Amino acid sequence: MRGVRWNQRIVAAVALAAAAVLASWIGVGTARAATGLSVAAVVAILGATLISSREFRANHPVVARAAISVVAVDVSLTVTGFFSATVNSNLAIGAAMSIVLLGLSFLTGSSGQISIGNGAFMGVGAFTVAIWANHHATTPIAVVLIMSVLAGGVVGLLLGLPATRLRGPYLAGMTLAFAVAFGAILNLFGSWTGGDSGLQLPHAVNAPTWVVNFFTPQTSSLTTNSVWLVDVAIVTAGIALFFMANLFASRTGRAMRLVRDNDVAAELVGISLPRARVMAFIVSAAYAALGGGLWTMINNAVTPSTYGFALSITILSLVVIGGIGTIPGAIIGGLIYAFSANVIAWFTAHTGLNPQGNVASQLNGIIFGGLLVLTILFAPTGIAGFVRRRWLAWRSR
Amino acid sequence: MESNRGSSLLELERVSVHFGGLHALREVSFSVSSGEIVGLIGPNGAGKTTAFNVACGFVRPSSGHVRYPAAGRSNVRPSDLARAGVARTLQGVGLFPHCTVLENVMAGGHIRPGGDFLTSLFALPRGVRSERALRESALTALERLGVADVAHQMPSAIPYGVAKKVSVARALMSEPSLLLLDEPASGLDEAELAEFSALIAELRASMGVLLVEHDMEFVMPLVDRLVVLSFGEVIATGTAAEVRGHEAVIAAYLGVDE
Repeated sequence: MRGVRWNQRIVAAVALAAAAVLASWIGVGTARAATGLSVAAVVAILGATLISSREFRANHPVVARAAISVVAVDVSLTVTGFFSATVNSNLAIGAAMSIVLLGLSFLTGSSGQISIGNGAFMGVGAFTVAIWANHHATTPIAVVLIMSVLAGGVVGLLLGLPATRLRGPYLAGMTLAFAVAFGAILNLFGSWTGGDSGLQLPHAVNAPTWVVNFFTPQTSSLTTNSVWLVDVAIVTAGIALFFMANLFASRTGRAMRLVRDNDVAAELVGISLPRARVMAFIVSAAYAALGGGLWTMINNAVTPSTYGFALSITILSLVVIGGIGTIPGAIIGGLIYAFSANVIAWFTAHTGLNPQGNVASQLNGIIFGGLLVLTILFAPTGIAGFVRRRWLAWRSR
Repeated sequence: MESNRGSSLLELERVSVHFGGLHALREVSFSVSSGEIVGLIGPNGAGKTTAFNVACGFVRPSSGHVRYPAAGRSNVRPSDLARAGVARTLQGVGLFPHCTVLENVMAGGHIRPGGDFLTSLFALPRGVRSERALRESALTALERLGVADVAHQMPSAIPYGVAKKVSVARALMSEPSLLLLDEPASGLDEAELAEFSALIAELRASMGVLLVEHDMEFVMPLVDRLVVLSFGEVIATGTAAEVRGHEAVIAAYLGVDE
């Protein structure tokens, strides 16, 4: 798009948008579905036009960031209308995981701390949603999700305070202890958390009727629970992504990098090291809890075994594989997680391996472990960093 | 020089520091006022760096007081220094290695309003404006020191002398009333030394400067006053000329047979 003038871009975008509207009206059965698709297409094309201008990105960084989030969410929502229930359910899980990865990416990539406890922080959010829903079934999901964020933040604060005195392996050790103890803590409050068997949501999370009624109920894909859930997960991930992009680009994000780079110099410019470290920890825990809260909604239930130590390790591996400290890296990691089950299913089907057997049950670990080794060997900055380097090299040719 | 000396900015009053049984500083007192350049000198191991670190709050005094009278503060933590109007450069260059030169200088303006967590999270307009203004003034600071051309480079890619200027630009970003320079001359060549000397002399107009330095040729013509440390004690204070002829100073530097 370099060299294309601003007004030419607008003309091209309007023409494209008009074509897209026309195509959706000819191609789609009902008027309202066509309207929905048209709006989606126009939003995507106009947004992409804005984002593609370097000048616009430089002069309006926040609007550009919002536009990127809106276009990404818009396109993702549109395609979920065409996917099968299984794919959508995987995508929902992956979108939630992306949120968790964003949080850890901020903690590790920006502030340079390591947490092996983010699986347990996810559990905090997951149980917050389940416990609240079992007492107040009618609370809007947005409110419940915000509560899971707050719960994660509070637990992050409690664990982060002692962490300000710890560094490197000692901090990792403390988060590890939390990850291992989490199951036992849940058992302590068995009457609330349901002990080993966990909790069931009182009813599945469904689209509100006004949303369903906009599209006629017979034809709307939103009437199926799986599409609504993946859409909720994608919108939530889009919002989380926007806020994280703000943090990365702001003075707070820079302060984290300063602390990581040279803590003495960071103090001298006026940054309180304990406060910066705790803040990064809280953000990471809150993001993890939000992802966990979504998982409870998607699975319609929560079990303590989901949030064991293995999950924390998987999260850490995914952040490294995707690319530490980058937003695309978190999305890539989420997608890898979303479809790892499909890869395993495909593998067992083609090799004749017993899906319930010993080997198949370990395949998940083998895949993530293998990917992790490959990443560290060949792309230390993760897939996102690798792609970015290739792209920059290609562009500067 | 006494005439243009202003209010007192830093006062060390009978400060002692013990590391276990080792007396790093013993009853050290001196002060720095606005409009003057004070040099802290002494042989190796005399306690210069410890005195500096006490002044910055990195080391707690075992006894005595560190005061910032202009800011109305005493015994501050390092992270409060910038807000008390004190900036410090570090030995070497002390830049942030994974941030660009421009980001390094912007970091110096961290305490300006509009950078709190919620403003950052929600990308509020005042935060965005503040960051934009910070970027502008960082570029201005780099231009002032004549190193604006390296703004978008990484610290590892620029020459040592330039990196030193960048670290001074960063220190000036908080608009300090007191500037602490830790070995500003080390590693610089003749031309750079002359530039630095002129720069520091120029800064005297708007702030007080305290510097620790080995290079006597650099320090002597530059400072208004010297504080000479030896074995953790102040053995002499005064102008360069006064100190140069001081018996204890000659003894400390050359060594004398008892």
